[in-house]
Amino acid sequence: MLNLGAFAFAAPGMLALLLVLPVIYWLLRMIPPLPRIVQFPAIRLLIGLEPTEQTPMKMPWWLLLLRLLLAIALIVAVARPILNPQADLPGHGPLLLMIDDGWASAPGWATRITHAERLIDRAERSGRPVIVMGTAPAPLDAPTTRHGALRPEEARTLLRAFRPKPWPTDRAAAAAELDRMQVDPAAYAVWLSDGLQDAGTDALSERLRRFSGLQVILPDQVTTPLVLLPPDAEGRDLKVRALRPVADGPRRAAIQAADDQGRVVARIELDFPATGTQGEGVLPAPAELRNRMARLDIENQGGAGSAVLLDERHRRRPVSILGERAAAAGQPLLQEVYFLERALDPYVSLSIGDRENVLNRNTAVLLIPDSSAPSPADREEIAKWIESGGVAVRFAGPNLAAGGDTLVPTPLRLGDRALGGVMSWGKPATLADFPTNSPFFGIPIPKDVRISQQVLAEPTPDLADKTWARLTDGTPLVTAEKRGQGYLVLVHTTANTGWSNLALSGLFVDMLQRLVLLSRGVAGDGINKALKPWRTLDGFGRLGAPPAGAQMLPADADKSFKPGPTTPPGLYGDENAQVAFNLGDHVAAPKPLVVPSGASTDRLSEGGETDLSRWFLLAAAILLLADLLISLWLRGMFPRALRLRRAVPAALALTLFGFLATPPDIQAQQPARPPVSTQAAAPATDAATAAPPLTDAQALRGALDVRLAYIVTGDKDVDDTSRAGLEGLSEVLRNRTSVEPADPVALDLDRDEPRLYPLIYWPITATQPNLSPRASAALDRYLRTGGIIFIDTRDQQMSFDRPVGGNPDLKRLLGGIEMPPLVSMPPDHVLTKSFYLLSDMPGRWQGGKIWIEAGNGRVNDGVSTILIGSNDYAGAWAVDQRGRGLLPVSPGGETQREMAYRFGVNLVMHALTGNYKDDQVHIQDIMQRLRR
Amino acid sequence: MPSASVLNRSLELAETLPALMVAADRVAATVIQGVHGRRRVGQGDAFWQYRPYREGDSVSRIDWRQSARSRNLFVRETEWEAAASVWLWRDASPSMQYASLRNLETKAERAELITLALASLLTDASERIALLGSGLRPSTGRIAVRRVAEALFAERSRGAGPSSSLPPLVPLPAHGTIVLVSDWLDPLDQIEAMIRHYASAGVRGHLVQVLDPAEEDLPFQGHVKFEGLEAEGQHTIRRVEGVRAAYSARLAAQREGLQRLARPADWTVHLHRTDRPPQTILLSLYLAMADLRRLNAA
Repeated sequence: MLNLGAFAFAAPGMLALLLVLPVIYWLLRMIPPLPRIVQFPAIRLLIGLEPTEQTPMKMPWWLLLLRLLLAIALIVAVARPILNPQADLPGHGPLLLMIDDGWASAPGWATRITHAERLIDRAERSGRPVIVMGTAPAPLDAPTTRHGALRPEEARTLLRAFRPKPWPTDRAAAAAELDRMQVDPAAYAVWLSDGLQDAGTDALSERLRRFSGLQVILPDQVTTPLVLLPPDAEGRDLKVRALRPVADGPRRAAIQAADDQGRVVARIELDFPATGTQGEGVLPAPAELRNRMARLDIENQGGAGSAVLLDERHRRRPVSILGERAAAAGQPLLQEVYFLERALDPYVSLSIGDRENVLNRNTAVLLIPDSSAPSPADREEIAKWIESGGVAVRFAGPNLAAGGDTLVPTPLRLGDRALGGVMSWGKPATLADFPTNSPFFGIPIPKDVRISQQVLAEPTPDLADKTWARLTDGTPLVTAEKRGQGYLVLVHTTANTGWSNLALSGLFVDMLQRLVLLSRGVAGDGINKALKPWRTLDGFGRLGAPPAGAQMLPADADKSFKPGPTTPPGLYGDENAQVAFNLGDHVAAPKPLVVPSGASTDRLSEGGETDLSRWFLLAAAILLLADLLISLWLRGMFPRALRLRRAVPAALALTLFGFLATPPDIQAQQPARPPVSTQAAAPATDAATAAPPLTDAQALRGALDVRLAYIVTGDKDVDDTSRAGLEGLSEVLRNRTSVEPADPVALDLDRDEPRLYPLIYWPITATQPNLSPRASAALDRYLRTGGIIFIDTRDQQMSFDRPVGGNPDLKRLLGGIEMPPLVSMPPDHVLTKSFYLLSDMPGRWQGGKIWIEAGNGRVNDGVSTILIGSNDYAGAWAVDQRGRGLLPVSPGGETQREMAYRFGVNLVMHALTGNYKDDQVHIQDIMQRLRR
Repeated sequence: MPSASVLNRSLELAETLPALMVAADRVAATVIQGVHGRRRVGQGDAFWQYRPYREGDSVSRIDWRQSARSRNLFVRETEWEAAASVWLWRDASPSMQYASLRNLETKAERAELITLALASLLTDASERIALLGSGLRPSTGRIAVRRVAEALFAERSRGAGPSSSLPPLVPLPAHGTIVLVSDWLDPLDQIEAMIRHYASAGVRGHLVQVLDPAEEDLPFQGHVKFEGLEAEGQHTIRRVEGVRAAYSARLAAQREGLQRLARPADWTVHLHRTDRPPQTILLSLYLAMADLRRLNAA
């Protein structure tokens, strides 16, 4: 190894090849470049010609330089240049890599592996075998790996298979393993530690010191492991605590809460005081948010120790109280609901209401105070709800004591029993310790809780099993019965201070919380059920299927749980209910590693020496390619160089175009829209809400041309007149305006979709049946989306004063349509000037009014969606094939028919251009013409 | 497959034919402006002069309208137009398919242009023309130009089949004229044999040498391997700039030899480079032909 400061050569012998460079130079000078090939017709004149001067063609100096550089790059590459070289490992024996791979090694694991690989590189350079060992117990399903001295390549492979484990290290076992392996004492040991002290550290340190050299690699502040403890619920917040091994100044860590999909739902910063090892933070977690949280993580740690899985204990259960909210009725301190609400509110999401309101929700626990005793019907519903998994907690009181209530876990005696009081010589009773089968087991009982009145249970053989709490005299205070999936619980005293002071004590809160926990399905009867591993964490804190060999946990394992290969941290239980066992609260608080005396230390680092040979090889390859291109060019075999330069942008553009053009192709291959024949089968309710799709034929027919439409009434004469009238009007439009309507369309609202037509003419007849819901919906939708209907009552002026009230058929037919209020058309309405300037609107008859939508131009931009006239307009417009009027027009004759046409033209223009002519821009012209 | 390729080629030719004919016509039109009629009495359509009636003149030749203006009878004389037969030929050998720069025409294209433009000029002057070696009798009028063009392209579309770089030796009637367009880079003895063959038959000839600028200047540098276009072999020269002078001498010697061969037979030699406009060569060629004929007539 040749060391040149920051630069070294691992194989300096190869540099001797540089001596060959002058030879290469000379050779390159000697050999002329290959000739260009030129086609030449007059070659006959050239044959036999030789230049008089025989100086060979010289290679251009820059090509010579390029080729020499190429040779130099190759020679340097084989000499294996190294940037920032590190000294050879001390000693002569094998390299022993002792790697802490417990949970604490997850932060900075990649750095750790890089560091180890670099050490292996150094060992390889000096040809020393490598021993790789982890200190944590291997997982049960790990393949058996070769131990002992390995060749560096094998060691590297083994190293890459290393993963941090989600359990602590066992250094004593590692020390014992070293003894068993009989490692060469001349070995140089490097301990890539996680920086934490544990019980076996001393044994391992002692063992490692016996080797010829020992170096301990310590993590720096960033890669020092942190432990996240399960959070404590504090009211609406979660109090989050994290531990660090050493108080090395202030440090800030970010905690993020994620839901079960991995989405981050909350994030807080957590500060370690400068001299403390514990950092605290408060994670605001309202009920909805808290229920979504599935795990907490310390950011950028990524290990099992920095992850906390949350289970039902950390969720806020939806709890309902049957009754009225206390504040509403006054005197809250007398009301049971008040005490229940106060006891539970911070911990659960509460709702208060009657049975219909609260049971409809996804309620987990239902609290039934005595004051709101359920009716028999309610009792039935509640019983059903319990069967399907609910937990109902009843409180005794005067109502229950009156008897007749069957929704109780155990039969009750009629009446109540008072203990103490003015008329009694007994004393109010205190609570006995909770029995072991009770969910309350373990709650300390305050001395001052007194029960002065209770209801009594009939003694039955199974009463003892059903009793979860009893008084010191043995009478049950809380009885419960498992019904189906759920529980029915009865507290034999009141939820307020009427019969006891239980409601005032902290015990009441604890007991209610335990009862709420019941609803998660794993307590109670299942308390003795073993929990099988369901999802477990790996060393990087990722949740996954449990490893092979993971064992069941006893239900009371919360205290005894020890993370290890058979019991990794994770969720235990089944898909219905899981209990989280986290690493944080089951390992000792982290303490800094005591470095064994006599060992050198180093920090974990990523940087180090860099092998540059590949870069030199790359440079040589690039130079070679350049040389190839230049040679081709010099020989004239690359004559299109210019053209190539021009082709590059074109090729780029082509590629770009290809990219752009691809997505439409992909879309073109999407399956075609399903045919619309199913439309007829769609239920009418659907048709009312969403516009049905059109077939292509329908759409094209309606959309390619402007078409006037009329509604088919079923009366053949009227329909024929409508058609003839609209044909006549269309003809007039074609002749006089730029509107060129195609043939009119007959609309059967039950079948056809009106939305394609700008104007629909609707003659009212007495014979037309009421609109079907589907037809009404279609019309409604048409009006709402901007369509215009011109309704012709054809009754002359019989009903023009009250258009809807007057004509019974109109009223009947428009019944299903949401009608806007109507007003008589003002004389300056845009309809009077949208094409012709008109003063009256005759049809077959004269006079009458046009009724339009009220709103004074504010609604729909002043365009009335409904117009109602009465003068049988289609009759006036109707023409025969020779263009003569079909029906007589009175009293004005042909002049009036002309005016009717003009009105029709204005109507269509109004439908097509809206309030365009109302624009003030035209007012001057219009006024001038009006005056004239 | 062959049908497709033939179709493609014929389409290609059909496209170029009008373009080339238009180009040839344009060239011819610019040339003709500088040329005038023969100014001699003869058979032809163009009016030349009136002269007084002489005895023996056919009565039918009297121009009665002119005669009515005066007392004398006038005879209308038309200009003499002696139609001669001209055979055209251009070299279609591979060595002509060469252009040293991309924006230059190949020698073959230029040769075809000259041939067609000359054909157009000659037929305008009512000469009878034919393509040498096509086997057709000389004819005149636009149809003759078209026939020449078709013969040219028929040859081209047949591929470079009989493409010798020397004209075919066919028997021609005496007093005919041939115009030969080639690069004339063949050995002089072969050219001499050809000239001798035609000169002995009393045929006048005009040689047009079309050369690419690169063939004249030899602009290459350095180490170059030259390849012939007609399988003449290869020749590598270390330093082309070193032989440039010798090459120019050889080219000059070739031209000199060409002149030497042409002079005794009273033929003319015209030089042309493809980077020069074709009008000049056409004009000199046309004048040379007119000159000769006027001399002959005198």
